[in-house]
Amino acid sequence: MEIVVCLKPVPEAETRLRVASNGTTLDVEGVKFVLAGYDESALEQALLLKEAVPGSKVHAVSFGPAPRTEEVLRSAIALGADLATWIEGPSGPGADPVTAARVVAAALADVPHDLVLCGKQAGDDEAGLFPGALAETLGLPDFDSVVDLRWDAGAGRFTFLRATDAGGERWQVPVPCVIGLQQAWNDPRTAKLPNILKSRKAPIAKRAAAEVPGPASVPVGFALPPPRTGARLIDYKTPDEAAQKLVRILREEAKVFP
Amino acid sequence: MPDFALSPEQESLRDMARKFARTEMAPHAAECDRTPRFPEEIYRKAYDLGLMNLNVPTEYGGTGLGLFDQCLLVEELAYGCGGMTTSVIANCLALEPILLGGSETQKQRFLTPFCSAYNFASFCLTEPSGGSDAGALKTRARRSGEEYVLDGEKCFITNAPHASLFTVFATVDPALRTRGITAFVVPRSAAGLSTGKDEEKMGHRASSTSTVRFEGVRVPVADRLGEEGEGFSLAMRTLDQTRTPIGALATGIAQAALDHAAGYALKRQSFGKPIGEHQAIQIKLANMAQAVRAARLLTWYAAWTIDRGAKGTLESSIAKCFASDAALHVADEAIQTFGGYGYMKEYPVEKLLRDAKLTQIYEGANEIQRTVIARELLRQYA
Repeated sequence: MEIVVCLKPVPEAETRLRVASNGTTLDVEGVKFVLAGYDESALEQALLLKEAVPGSKVHAVSFGPAPRTEEVLRSAIALGADLATWIEGPSGPGADPVTAARVVAAALADVPHDLVLCGKQAGDDEAGLFPGALAETLGLPDFDSVVDLRWDAGAGRFTFLRATDAGGERWQVPVPCVIGLQQAWNDPRTAKLPNILKSRKAPIAKRAAAEVPGPASVPVGFALPPPRTGARLIDYKTPDEAAQKLVRILREEAKVFP
Repeated sequence: MPDFALSPEQESLRDMARKFARTEMAPHAAECDRTPRFPEEIYRKAYDLGLMNLNVPTEYGGTGLGLFDQCLLVEELAYGCGGMTTSVIANCLALEPILLGGSETQKQRFLTPFCSAYNFASFCLTEPSGGSDAGALKTRARRSGEEYVLDGEKCFITNAPHASLFTVFATVDPALRTRGITAFVVPRSAAGLSTGKDEEKMGHRASSTSTVRFEGVRVPVADRLGEEGEGFSLAMRTLDQTRTPIGALATGIAQAALDHAAGYALKRQSFGKPIGEHQAIQIKLANMAQAVRAARLLTWYAAWTIDRGAKGTLESSIAKCFASDAALHVADEAIQTFGGYGYMKEYPVEKLLRDAKLTQIYEGANEIQRTVIARELLRQYA
């Protein structure tokens, strides 16, 4: 089975983001980019499938500039990806999700894929547009918020659980398809030191990004959330008194309800 | 130009150790300290990830890292838990005599099977009657045909209750002092070898420490490292290699103390503002930050010197001594920053002080480091 997993380098979770002076992009100077969140779960899912289905290959694909894109692909190789393709993108903040999907779809034209896995949304902008846009461009069905994807060899189909607000849905879907993985359900593995060392020397196929229409969307502006004002403590002797005081404040001062 | 930037490879090694320390070690550090408990499930993971036999070349199944890269990893691990780090890196100390003094056959015979599975090894030099004065050790090795017979007792031996392999220093003739000391490799299965009860320690309580007794333990001549009388020099050359990572371990503890203190200083209010806005606390934090950075840079410099092929006795002694003193000082100031809370076991900083203390004592007490530093220094003026 040929499994493609699409990975997006995102700023490390502890990063203090800054808005660039133009007000419409983030300043990524000096920001450390990592493989994180939903994409880690997607890669872990790919590796679990590879271990379950003999003869499978995991092919990591990422679109973006040096050095962050190469670093994310090297971490994927250290974790167990067999192949890596780096689609070179412009420096600075990444492309919008739909444009990125079009670029990756063009690259997948000559990359075998029985299954394309992605995080259901990126760990930075959390747009959640990439898997759907990729499936649309490739003409494949797509499913998101997926956990626990398995290969049913008898039926020749994938089965999975889809997490919903109400509970879960169990699905059976045909090959090939695009699947957006839910985050943090499968305890992504840690790379072993010897594999990290080997990954530094592993080949990465580099290719230019295809010309695609776009950009599909342009940010109008970024702003940091306003600073939080101080919390207010309610003095009380009994829970009843606390509730009465809170209701009064919510009704008369905050005017949350009449 | 000297370059302090890490390579992308070094960054990825460090990131991996940082992740392991913060997600696997740190969440269990307080519990393992309090109980105390030797967390085998964490050590097994550390082994699986290649963190345990860092200095053994890959051809014998180790990770095969240079000293600089080892130090990067050790600092990160110690940030998570100093005690666990001691147990994770103790194999490096125990196996170094085989790497430095073993024949090719011995390396293949001992290191390859050892590294192919989750195993602990222990370095047996210190004895109840002395540690710093290693030349005066009393454990005897008497030649008997094609064997030696070992009798004596070692103490404060890291991981001994769990070890499957021991590198042991014994004397063939106490009158010869350092020139009588000889090194052996002894498997746990050797008849007459026994380990004592786990010692109750002030810190590093996730690590295990005990005595090791040798009562008529028969060791084949083929398991002697080098010649008779070469053991003392082998022990000293081993410590030249393994001292620097103790500097890194101390730096990790110190960095953790600084991070806790600075985080607390931003949150804790007194006299209407965060205590970090009071100059008394600012001066503390500034001094702590200087000590942490100086410790790290001295450690890096010693590791870099040794990786370039130099002996690095002076550099590694300076790094170990300075970083361990710095760790104790920074942990102490972190407690002071926390005030009464810092003294409470519910908060993480008092453990750092107890863990830091050992780094001044083990792998050559700082008094010995200063003796070495002065001797090496005066040699340059003679």
